[in-house]
Amino acid sequence: MKLSLSWIRDYVAIPENIDLKKLAYDLTMSTVEVEDVEYLAGRFEHMVVGVILEIQAHPNADKLRVCKVDIGGDVKEIVCGGINLREGMRVAVSCPGAVVRWHGEGDPVVIKNSKLRGVESFGMICASDEIGLGDLFPASQEAEILDLSAFDVPAGTSLAQALDMDDVLLEIDNKSMTNRPDLWGHYGIAREIAALYDLPLAEIKPFAADTESEFKVEISDADRCPRYIGVEMSGVEVKPSPYRIQSRIWKAGMRPINALVDITNYAMLATGNPTHAFDADQIKGHITVRRASQGETLSLLNGRELTLCEDDLVIADSQEPVALAGVMGGSKDSILPDTRRVILEVANFESTGIRRTALRYDNRTEASSRYEKAVDPERCAQALALSMQYFRELYPDLKVTGYCDRYEKKLKRAEVDVSLTWLAKRLGKTLSNEEIRRKLELLGFEVEINGDKMHAVAPTWRSTGDISMKDDVMEEVARMYGYDHFEATEFTTTFTGAINQKDQELLRNIKEYLAIRCGMQEVYTYPWMNDVFVDALLPGREGVLKLSTPPAPDLSCIRSTLLPNLCEAVVKNERYFNDFSIFEEAQVFFDGSYSSPYDESESLPKQRRHIGGAFASSKKDITQLFREAKGVLAYMPRYTHMESFTFRKAEKPGWADDVVWLNLFLGEEHIGDMGLLAKKVSMECGIKNLSVMLFELDAARLVPLKSRTNRFAHLAEYPETDYDISMLFDPDASWTDIYEAILGKKKASALLKDAAFVDEYRGKQVPAGKKSVTIRLTIGSGEKTLTSQEIENVAEQVMKKLRKGMGAELRTQ
Amino acid sequence: MKERINGILSEVKTKISAAASENELQSVKSAYIGKQGALSLLMKELPGLAAELRPQIGSLLNQAKNQVTELVETKRTELKLKASQVSPDFDCSVPGILPRRGGLHPITQMCYDLNDTFRSMGFEIFQEDDITSEMYAFDKLNFPPNHPARESMDTYWLEGHDSGNTNEKLCLRPHLTGGSVRYMQTHKPPYRFVYPGRVYRNETTDAHHERAFFQYEALIVDKDITFTSGKVMIKSILSKVFGTDVPVRMRSGFFPFVEPGFEIDMQCQVCGGKGCSVCKHVGWIEVMPGGSPHPNVLRAAGLDPDEYTGFYVNIGLDRLVMMRYGVDDVRLFHSADLRFLNQFK
Repeated sequence: MKLSLSWIRDYVAIPENIDLKKLAYDLTMSTVEVEDVEYLAGRFEHMVVGVILEIQAHPNADKLRVCKVDIGGDVKEIVCGGINLREGMRVAVSCPGAVVRWHGEGDPVVIKNSKLRGVESFGMICASDEIGLGDLFPASQEAEILDLSAFDVPAGTSLAQALDMDDVLLEIDNKSMTNRPDLWGHYGIAREIAALYDLPLAEIKPFAADTESEFKVEISDADRCPRYIGVEMSGVEVKPSPYRIQSRIWKAGMRPINALVDITNYAMLATGNPTHAFDADQIKGHITVRRASQGETLSLLNGRELTLCEDDLVIADSQEPVALAGVMGGSKDSILPDTRRVILEVANFESTGIRRTALRYDNRTEASSRYEKAVDPERCAQALALSMQYFRELYPDLKVTGYCDRYEKKLKRAEVDVSLTWLAKRLGKTLSNEEIRRKLELLGFEVEINGDKMHAVAPTWRSTGDISMKDDVMEEVARMYGYDHFEATEFTTTFTGAINQKDQELLRNIKEYLAIRCGMQEVYTYPWMNDVFVDALLPGREGVLKLSTPPAPDLSCIRSTLLPNLCEAVVKNERYFNDFSIFEEAQVFFDGSYSSPYDESESLPKQRRHIGGAFASSKKDITQLFREAKGVLAYMPRYTHMESFTFRKAEKPGWADDVVWLNLFLGEEHIGDMGLLAKKVSMECGIKNLSVMLFELDAARLVPLKSRTNRFAHLAEYPETDYDISMLFDPDASWTDIYEAILGKKKASALLKDAAFVDEYRGKQVPAGKKSVTIRLTIGSGEKTLTSQEIENVAEQVMKKLRKGMGAELRTQ
Repeated sequence: MKERINGILSEVKTKISAAASENELQSVKSAYIGKQGALSLLMKELPGLAAELRPQIGSLLNQAKNQVTELVETKRTELKLKASQVSPDFDCSVPGILPRRGGLHPITQMCYDLNDTFRSMGFEIFQEDDITSEMYAFDKLNFPPNHPARESMDTYWLEGHDSGNTNEKLCLRPHLTGGSVRYMQTHKPPYRFVYPGRVYRNETTDAHHERAFFQYEALIVDKDITFTSGKVMIKSILSKVFGTDVPVRMRSGFFPFVEPGFEIDMQCQVCGGKGCSVCKHVGWIEVMPGGSPHPNVLRAAGLDPDEYTGFYVNIGLDRLVMMRYGVDDVRLFHSADLRFLNQFK
């Protein structure tokens, strides 16, 4: 909202020498956020009123003229292409240094002395839109120069002064005042400033009606329309309003239209209460404020045809609806050039109904946006008084022929009881009773203090929901006292035992393990999945939840698994990287369960926290990539202190390669999968050269250990030796089998401490139909240092076992 | 003769100890005990000496030669150990090798930094589900029934669950505060907890607006605390993030779930409060809303607002991370672009 400081000053005597920065700061700290303080004159720097003395043809251009212009003590030649130039005309001259927009479009340009088609030109004679005044002085045709002849000022007067632009605009963030309907107008802000600085506030003198007539208004739904004042008048006509009204309307960001409309807008901008004037001759019978009947139609003054519903409130005559109450007037009763009699409507409508109707027809207006904040019905009197003041001033022949004020549902002022002990406790400061009383009274409260009990009655303009309980009163005292004046108070600690949140710590341990120890990069993706990846990875859409209004049509599914988005991330990064690994921890959602641990009546879908990862490489072979991924998972329980899980083949994930996949089990519970992304899926995802190994775990099923469980082992007293052997096996011999054969129930030797997989090889160096496996044996004794013969004996026993048990042969090459 | 030998000896000692390289040492050696060396030449003069002097001088000369040899060898060992193991043109400016790639998302890093701070002050960490009901997203937070945030142009509702009663209307949570009510319902007061999480708004995105972003909520609820207790929480957050004490101010602000409500500003860290383009020349930057939980919210959580009160702040982690690192486009956080993420170790 934009406010004119000079307008605010109509109502409150702000000292002339006030520091505007301070005013903006104080308002921001205590009331509403002042986003900008603009010295309006700044827009019109280096612009003056000039008088055209003489007009000559341009020697080189048909459409241009060379004007001799008096700019105050100096006559300059200015080249101009305006079509309405005449001698004696007062015009706006932009001198060198002024900032304008060519034809009101494009970027601002700084005016310089220049040559136009070979003729020197001092500055520029401006059209209204070139100096940002297109809305205030609309041009009737192209290339029309702003004619200021009506402004009786001498040549050379600064344009800002001539047009009453020596003003300051305060721009207030609308969001910061949604809860303060009383501030939506110049008077409201003036009242707040008066309270902040203890300044006198001007009163708007009420309008006294002295008309007896048949004119009547009927309200059939007082809940939706607590008050309606109608004033029927004759002796008006459509004409421009005086410049002082027009310029103020323009400063507040609206367009002047004609005097009848301008008066109503002026009253709204001043008081915050919308008002409306309509053609009285178009009204049949009398005015009724009623609910629309289902299917009833109304054509609005912007030309839209609405089919109404019963929830809409309308202003109707005895035949049909003539306006959508509180939102917009209808076309039937709109002000037309031949309007001679009007009805002024100053009404109060209930906020939520107005909002519903405005939203229903996507038709939010200046009026509806004010009503939906909950305006108090007492304010009608101000809006009426101000409107009538201007009607009378602008139309000397005006006659009030009818007046009716239906105030069906009186506003009840909010009353709140506050304990002063409570107040002091919450404020962290004891203020004197007088101090508290004074702060509240400045804001319009009536205050009674009796011992510890304070009874506060809110002013009418704060009683539509804004003030309703003691916390509200406390806020008023605190902000008037100034939040800056309250020190931070430390809160005291009570020791209730250390915080023990194992599940939280496990999640963090896992993420740090993956990122820091395993060298994976954490990524974030959105909860919605792209259809391409959904179709590629999921068997169908069964059990997948969807958004009603997705960010894009192909992003409606929300994730039941992290893998589609991880694959999308792989695709995105393939352009720049050929070997990387990523992981994500996030929630996934399933269409099912529908219950809630918090509230029996609530029905929430099944939601789980998952951890997923992708290893992508075009450099590593599948075995390498597989072992990397499996290693990350296999060592995770040990490094993150949770119960360990096992790998098993039970059910192939749909997206996985036929051979390269494993399920993860915690006991008998299936808690996750890993595997190679199948060729076909990979292709459908748009992955070009990367092999991708994926994994996904249900984090909520992982069980943190109560404490670290490593046991200490005594350091070996005698050296242990590593001894590598390479053996040839059948290609389907698994490492699990080999390990089992060496270290299983019957250990190959008591001196054998461990056996580790080193590598596996298939190819030219080994006979066809065989694979070579290199095994690292750890050999040692607790009693003595072994001789090389003893060590070789152990190796020999292992080889013998493998020969007998698995048909393995020693690799000779 | 004796004097000459001693003179040569002291001369050679000085030269040996001054030798800076093996080559230099070698030339010292040959200059004194080589074939044409000073001591060798003296040796040649022996026959010309008186016979009774010869054995004495001869042995002196031999001793001197041995001493020189010994000194040279000692010096040689010393020089060898002192010498570099590589050629002098070894390039120390070649870059080091990254021990391991990988890292946490910068928002996770920020979140963990804050968790550590709050844990040290005795706060618990709370986590909740992303999908919630309208009842918990709005009703329990004192949002009036027709509040604009409830509309589909602001909130992501779920298909098939976007109408009916508020206990069955489901959405991706638009903020965390509803979850705070869940925490309070299931724990005993007093409360002291933080609640980090991702929230969702149906918005048009640009460099400063996202549909999914992270909030960090901190809440204390207790008897007898003042509305300014929250200043301590705010200062803790900011000093952790920026590494120094940051001046803050609280000013009037309105949110349905707090009363009184505040906008909390911090002094602009770019200009130190003097005013610059980052803070739009006011010296302050809006960082978080805060306030005392509205009595209706406390009631929804099963508490008596006459007995309990508290302080709440809700900070946008994305914005804070952007300020911390100078990131200028919020959309990068959900881009999964490793060129961006690799920068945050």
